Amino acid sequence: MGIITISREFGSGGENIARFVAEKTGFLLVNKDTIARGLTQYGIEKPLPDPENQIGKEQDSHFEQQYIEAIHDFIYDLAIRNNLVILGRGGSILFRDYPPALHVRIIAQFTRRVQRVMKAYNLASETAVKLVKEQDRDKSRYYRQIFDVNWNNLRLYDLLLSTDKMEFEDAADLVINAYRIHAEPREVKDGPGVGEIEERAVIPPADAEADQFMHPSEEEFAHMLDFYRIRWQYEPRTFFLEWDSEGNVVEAFSPDFYLPDQDLFIELTTQKPRQAWKKNRKIRRMKELYPHINVRLIDKRGFESLLKKHSIDQDEKEGEES
Amino acid sequence: MREKMPYEEDQLKILFTPEQIEEKISELGKIISDHYAGRELIMIGVLRGSTYFLIDLTRKMHIPFAIDFISISHYSEQADSTGVVRITKDLDLNITGKDVLIVEGIVDTGLSLGYLLRNLKTRNPASLKVCTLLNVEARRIVDVPVEYKGFDIANIFVVGYGLDYNERYRNLQFIAEFNRPK
Repeated sequence: MGIITISREFGSGGENIARFVAEKTGFLLVNKDTIARGLTQYGIEKPLPDPENQIGKEQDSHFEQQYIEAIHDFIYDLAIRNNLVILGRGGSILFRDYPPALHVRIIAQFTRRVQRVMKAYNLASETAVKLVKEQDRDKSRYYRQIFDVNWNNLRLYDLLLSTDKMEFEDAADLVINAYRIHAEPREVKDGPGVGEIEERAVIPPADAEADQFMHPSEEEFAHMLDFYRIRWQYEPRTFFLEWDSEGNVVEAFSPDFYLPDQDLFIELTTQKPRQAWKKNRKIRRMKELYPHINVRLIDKRGFESLLKKHSIDQDEKEGEES
Repeated sequence: MREKMPYEEDQLKILFTPEQIEEKISELGKIISDHYAGRELIMIGVLRGSTYFLIDLTRKMHIPFAIDFISISHYSEQADSTGVVRITKDLDLNITGKDVLIVEGIVDTGLSLGYLLRNLKTRNPASLKVCTLLNVEARRIVDVPVEYKGFDIANIFVVGYGLDYNERYRNLQFIAEFNRPK
């Protein structure tokens, strides 16, 4: 699930840049129209409450709530299956707590934007000035009304790009490179590329770690990996699985082990299959959200067969008791 | 005291009959012979699960080859949980520059095979490949390249045709799913 959000001042070229980024990365472009179409599935036919007429009215807050929920559901649903370039629509708020996402803001000087709008829409300067101001005000209002944040708060963004002196395609290339630098090392930071010696230095010996294990089976598994000289890390990473409507993480998952040489996460469960459904669901969700991450569940049966001797002992003990 | 694991028929469910096993091994023998024709093949049996398979496989080969054996310690066999894997019986032949085929009875987690591959690779064979009669992909922890495989099986415990449960059942001529005694 790759996410680039692009917020732009009207006339800054943000739309062109978003299109370039989407084309060059193969990410799916999500804009106002995509969202309006998608929201009809959620029973929202109106494009948006008109802020001029409806602000402060009671039925408004209900609609807003409905709108926010629908936009969340729709975009998250898209994001599970696609990498996205989200143009506007509060993307940076929606994915505020998803660290691999890159939030970009495109700006340009007012006069520069007016010039572009005059040219693009064949407008007189006065009309263009009015249009630019109006559009910016609408964006600002959308953020205020739907997300209760200040659109011009630049802390919402990771990258600020001015198109005053820059071609749109160059800006797009910068965004793409920024995204790669930002998101990709994060995804594989424990994987290839980490020097073997440093890696060894940071892994405490299994015995020293023992107290930190949550379950004896995890400790046993670590001993087994040590035995076969497989390098491992214990719960080095947490994957976010679910966000609430404000973008706060409500469900996360930290697989028990990471094997850097295999680039593989392993989750152990010694629960009976009937009780393991929750873990299975988390793993399924993780595979949907992070398809390029290898994760493997070792279930009770698999774990017992790993430790043949121990389970034999247990079998015999159980046999003697009965 | 009563024997703990008697040959009770109801614990065994036949998966592959002697005929099915023989047919599969004939196929493998032919494929491997074709692939290694004109090369200096050393077939290495991994003790002890592969012994029956290795012998029958070699009898279906129609090219010259050498046989050797190797054995490593297993996690489940050690007394405490602090040791590391080691070779308990090393090769007698020098494999440097030779085409080496590791022959396994079963590949499941890939942990011990992974270690063997890493170890043998340091001896610079011309090539290093793996042949296994049974493959349990569902139990894999370490990805290991398996070039030749007889049967893919589900995540079940099997005995027979060289594979044991507490050293029993190796001499069965069929391969069976084994349900551990309750």
